[in-house]
Amino acid sequence: IDCISHFTFFYYPKLYTPGQRNMYFNRTSFLLCIMQSCYNSLILFFIPYAALHDTVRQDGREIADYQSFAILLQTCLIIVVNAQIFLDTWYWTGINHFFLWGSMAAYFALTFTMNSNGLFFIFPTMFHVFVSGTGRNSLNQPNTWLIIFLTCLLCILPIVALRFIFIQTSPTINDKARKYKMRRDEIPAISLRPPATRRVSKRSSYAFSHSQGYGDLVTSQKFLDKKTPRRPLLFVKSLCKLAHMIIFGFFVTFTQL
Amino acid sequence: MGKEKSKSGPLARRPDNSAFKQQRLPAWSPMLTASAVLPFFYLLALICMLLGVWLLLTVQNTQEMKVDYTEAGSCNLCFEMRKNVSNAGQRCTCMIMFSIEKAFKGDVFIYYGLRNFHQNLRRYMDSRDDGQMLGRKSNLKSPSSYCKPFDVDEKGVPIAPCGAVANSMFNDSFILTYYTINGPTVVPLLRKGLTWYTDKNVKYRNPKMDNLTLPEVFEGTTRPPYWQKPVYQLDPFDPNNNGFINDDLLVWMREAAFPNFKKLYGFLYRANKPFTKGLPAGNYSVTISYNFPVQYFKGRKEVVLTTVSWFGGQNHFLPIAYLVTSGLILLTAVVLTVVWWKFGKDGKNMAD
Repeated sequence: IDCISHFTFFYYPKLYTPGQRNMYFNRTSFLLCIMQSCYNSLILFFIPYAALHDTVRQDGREIADYQSFAILLQTCLIIVVNAQIFLDTWYWTGINHFFLWGSMAAYFALTFTMNSNGLFFIFPTMFHVFVSGTGRNSLNQPNTWLIIFLTCLLCILPIVALRFIFIQTSPTINDKARKYKMRRDEIPAISLRPPATRRVSKRSSYAFSHSQGYGDLVTSQKFLDKKTPRRPLLFVKSLCKLAHMIIFGFFVTFTQL
Repeated sequence: MGKEKSKSGPLARRPDNSAFKQQRLPAWSPMLTASAVLPFFYLLALICMLLGVWLLLTVQNTQEMKVDYTEAGSCNLCFEMRKNVSNAGQRCTCMIMFSIEKAFKGDVFIYYGLRNFHQNLRRYMDSRDDGQMLGRKSNLKSPSSYCKPFDVDEKGVPIAPCGAVANSMFNDSFILTYYTINGPTVVPLLRKGLTWYTDKNVKYRNPKMDNLTLPEVFEGTTRPPYWQKPVYQLDPFDPNNNGFINDDLLVWMREAAFPNFKKLYGFLYRANKPFTKGLPAGNYSVTISYNFPVQYFKGRKEVVLTTVSWFGGQNHFLPIAYLVTSGLILLTAVVLTVVWWKFGKDGKNMAD
């Protein structure tokens, strides 16, 4: 998902190299992803736990009960994951906006629906964990929102800082291209020769982008050892989020015991 | 990427040349530039510091007093007595003295606290019947199987309210006394309005009465095994606090998330002197009717008196966490500024 159009790729074929060199998805970046998920899970559990374990609502009533704590953790998680997607998306079309803000709005809508009186009357025993009123009674406390704000800061800011450092010290070729594009708004319009006159063979464009065959490279696994600056791509990020949620789920189940 | 040119024939399946299908939609393309990231970090550090200081000042204004009465003073005798199950029917009272140095200004809340009581155990939390406590007649006489073994007693009579959660209800009671120059006065407590509005009015309802009295409605059910009184005698003087909507029962049924928790017992009634401004400083005592045994799970019991603010009770963690976070963000911002200055300022690394 890049702001660089396919015309630019014709002009600068070197931009294809990160994908070919497997820079974005390899063992190191996956391990970094797991470590980030562990860190996020620890923050997402222990910060609300420490902030909530001995306090009450502003009118003195209970806030440290099981359902309120669960709603607090879920809200933190949804906001952190959506903020991560916000950071990863470099090319914001209307569709991106719709799905990002729409998913947050859907979460709140579903939470309040599940916590509504009507649904509780229909299924009192099914919804006995997320019962009526929890969303309303816990999410209207300023204490809750301050905890959510702190948790999100602690989860997101390290990522932003690390990315900034990598962009400044060792930018990947994609970063350089984006910076170049930002400085000069238009790549000079090149007349795109119709491919028919260029192609003399019937090979597909995938083969056309290679300078030589990669058969021996693939079989020798050398391409996995390239020491180039790596940053995970969006696809890896969705795997990261899955790992993130699984690890977080373990923590929540663990506390139930 | 180019298309397959080896396919012959008309290009009928080629997608339209619209902006949507050719991924040429107008878009915003943000990038982490120094002019965006660095001021953002400094601003966040400032916001966190201000929040931390404000919260710290708010929390410092609240006061809290905890009195652990598991084995303190004369409660030791009650503690020993409750070790024996056959003494469960006997009453035991004890008294603890404590003093307050600084007056509690404003509304004062009294809580009972338990330590090491895991209300968040999954099997315990499942052991309840919300349909029965919603007042459904079908569930009243046939409680759900989740309540086993607390659904029927040994004679087969259904239990109302069923389940382990209701059965283990906390049943100590406290009387607070303030020692003035003229002698001891009982501190008046309000024992109503302890629960969430939705708990009291939506989630828990008594079964429909239809010209019957409450004991008649509960005909054919019995009390949980650990209770001394049946549910329709929890507060016979107030029909709005009797049966399934009793405030103490509701407060207990809202399971706590952690093993060390406190639950609301009452508010200070501030209509009369000398409690119009709160709790004055001085000597106090709490007389406890000691019923709840805690030695089985190595737990502790305590009475907590506290004032609250807009932020809630007294919890120092969040203000300190905000201040620490603000320090960390400031440190990170300085590091980022140094990195930007040395490496990326003139676009040195951006040569294509």
